[in-house]
Amino acid sequence: MQYIRRISVSRSHLILVALVIAAAGLGVARVARIERAVEESRVAGRPVQLPDEGFVSSQTCRACHPSQYQSWHRSYHRTMTQIAAPENVAASFDGVAVDAASGGPMALEQHGRELWAEFDDPDDAEGRGRRGVRPPSDEPGGQTGVRPRRIKRQVVMTTGSHHQQIYWYATGSSRILGQLPAIWLTADRRWIPRRAAVMRPPGGAHVSETGGWNGVCVACHTTNGQPQLDTPLGSQPIFTQTADTRATEFGIACESCHGPSDAHARANRNPIRRYASHVAARGDATIVQPAKLPPARSSDVCGQCHSFWEFADQASERRANAHGLPYRPGDELAATRFIVQPTRNLDSPEMRAFLEADAGFIRDIFWADGMVRATGREYNGLVESPCFKNATDPARTMSCFSCHTMHQTADDLRPVSEWANDQLAAHATGNGACVQCHERLSPTHSHHGQDSSGSSCYNCHMPFTTYGLLKTIRSHQISSPSVQSTLATGRPNACNLCHLDKTLAWTAQYLNDWYGVAKPSLDADESSVAASVLVLLKGDAGQRAIVAESMGWSAAQQASGRAWLAPYLALTAKDSYDAVRYIASRSQRTLPPFRREELPRNSPQLLIKADGTFNADVVNRLVRARDNRRVVYRE
Amino acid sequence: MDYARRHIRFGWWSLLVFASAGLVLESLHGFKVRAYLDTANETRRLMWTLAHAHGTLLALVNVAAGLTWRAAPSMPANPRLTSTSLIAASVLLPGGFFLGGVAFYGGDPGVGTLLVPIGAVLLLFALFSIARAASASR
Repeated sequence: MQYIRRISVSRSHLILVALVIAAAGLGVARVARIERAVEESRVAGRPVQLPDEGFVSSQTCRACHPSQYQSWHRSYHRTMTQIAAPENVAASFDGVAVDAASGGPMALEQHGRELWAEFDDPDDAEGRGRRGVRPPSDEPGGQTGVRPRRIKRQVVMTTGSHHQQIYWYATGSSRILGQLPAIWLTADRRWIPRRAAVMRPPGGAHVSETGGWNGVCVACHTTNGQPQLDTPLGSQPIFTQTADTRATEFGIACESCHGPSDAHARANRNPIRRYASHVAARGDATIVQPAKLPPARSSDVCGQCHSFWEFADQASERRANAHGLPYRPGDELAATRFIVQPTRNLDSPEMRAFLEADAGFIRDIFWADGMVRATGREYNGLVESPCFKNATDPARTMSCFSCHTMHQTADDLRPVSEWANDQLAAHATGNGACVQCHERLSPTHSHHGQDSSGSSCYNCHMPFTTYGLLKTIRSHQISSPSVQSTLATGRPNACNLCHLDKTLAWTAQYLNDWYGVAKPSLDADESSVAASVLVLLKGDAGQRAIVAESMGWSAAQQASGRAWLAPYLALTAKDSYDAVRYIASRSQRTLPPFRREELPRNSPQLLIKADGTFNADVVNRLVRARDNRRVVYRE
Repeated sequence: MDYARRHIRFGWWSLLVFASAGLVLESLHGFKVRAYLDTANETRRLMWTLAHAHGTLLALVNVAAGLTWRAAPSMPANPRLTSTSLIAASVLLPGGFFLGGVAFYGGDPGVGTLLVPIGAVLLLFALFSIARAASASR
């Protein structure tokens, strides 16, 4: 009881102590918040993450939306841009020597949590520190014929993680980043030279990527990115410039799609407002829900990055350099920038100006009929699809959200990694996406076995004719197989991407028999040589890459046989384009060891003679007729 | 009324119930029940864990209150109200957390969680009354 009395006497002291502890707790929390911001703004040598202009970052969203935060956190959108740290890099930096780098070998080191690389300076065009070894003309110093100096720089940021990872180093000039001369292929677990990772012709001038992150990548690979170069990228030599590049958050985070959320977060600190909204099950006007926008506006949200666009004029480029892009989710995308869509604006003054500056401006992004052919521009394909542009009922208008979901739903039982691969909704992994509207389509519509790959809507109407990042992806412009289109554009059609051993004449005949499509006139080769062989031998580099990839596709191998593919892939593995060679080699690895005796005999469409040898005359003739124009994809 | 006996009895039975609830939660972990463990159900997991923790702790508080009642020199000013408040708090706090996890809204628990602040107020009142009585001189 004596003890209890002692407590009673000091009750007022206890209250005082409790108040002091509470005040101290609040103070510490406040200081921690301030210190975090100060720490990031004090970072030198790389762009920084600073909440600004109504953006609050995913850390704020997480408190109320844990499930959505988790699914986003496991997506490749989040890891598009990361600070280079041992836990974020896919490759090992711990005393690794990389020979497969543009220029000389690259040496990687890890010191604690810091990652360092020593390599040939990609910006040393004059070849300081001569060593008398002449590098290839498309590598640093190639024009002067001397090796550039070696530099050692800290690797500070990464781009990507799904298929490839690119590494950026601090140049030492303000926040401007340079790119390591090799990139890491995630699936292959190996380094390749940077120049080999893009569809670019051999030879040609060395292109420095220095400043590229600050001026270009920041727009789409971060949330609310602002280049803040002193003048827009490319307007003067990069090393005469300074940059104070910043973003609200690295990676494509919540506010990239839902818009700046400070007002939403503030309003919903009020629990009465929150619960009134929950109980009434009504939307919240303080935030944008892309999936609930009209189809055109919701697709615009994705299109802000997944489209081919340009600044309409220099003034808008200057504004974006200083303040970031003006588009906010819910806006009309085309009102904030010039969407390059040759089928709609080929004759516009903007397009004429772009073509005047670069004749290949459209050619390396679009097929001749205006269908987009470079990856990452799915929006351009969507808006040209009949399911989008001809639709009159918003409820039956295709949008990105008809097939994709940015948050894996609770009823989706697939592993997260499977969902994250393409972020398809569970219903859209098969024909479900299409039968949402085409529910009355006859089961015999495809004329293929019901469980066969030929019965997949995707395989016929979204074939793999888009290229980028060393692979092909499905065209996002919904179309029907057409030999006429193949003849007009050079784009392989869906039938011949699976039936690799068949001619265009064969396809034309079936399309005529099954769907009443008029047969176009074909020349002798088109009538007698397999369409895939024709493209592989005489197509341009982009076309060759598409067919080489198809030759490694299990569905195509099943439909076309595998024994004859190896020699053609071996031939393609000697292609002058690094990217085509890489894809051919990858497809080759899907095949069993080549056995000459298994080659189909007397297959004129495959240019194999009765004795099992190839018709070298025709092969050589077709190779001589190859479309050797320089193909440079904007990937 | 024998308040001491009331709280000791309530406390031990309550402890049995909420210790059993702990076993149920462990089983949900053991069998990897998605309705409890999925990241989408993080709020449910938190609420039910809180229900278990608060229920168990309050059961022990009831036992302690019963023992204190026996040993203390004087009763709280309003023993019936104090006793009822403590027992109500011991039901409302874990019950509110439990209901808050049955149906919820993202990071917000369900409306059942409104029982929690009511229980908290009752608990504070009961604790204050008992503490004051326990502090009084003989």
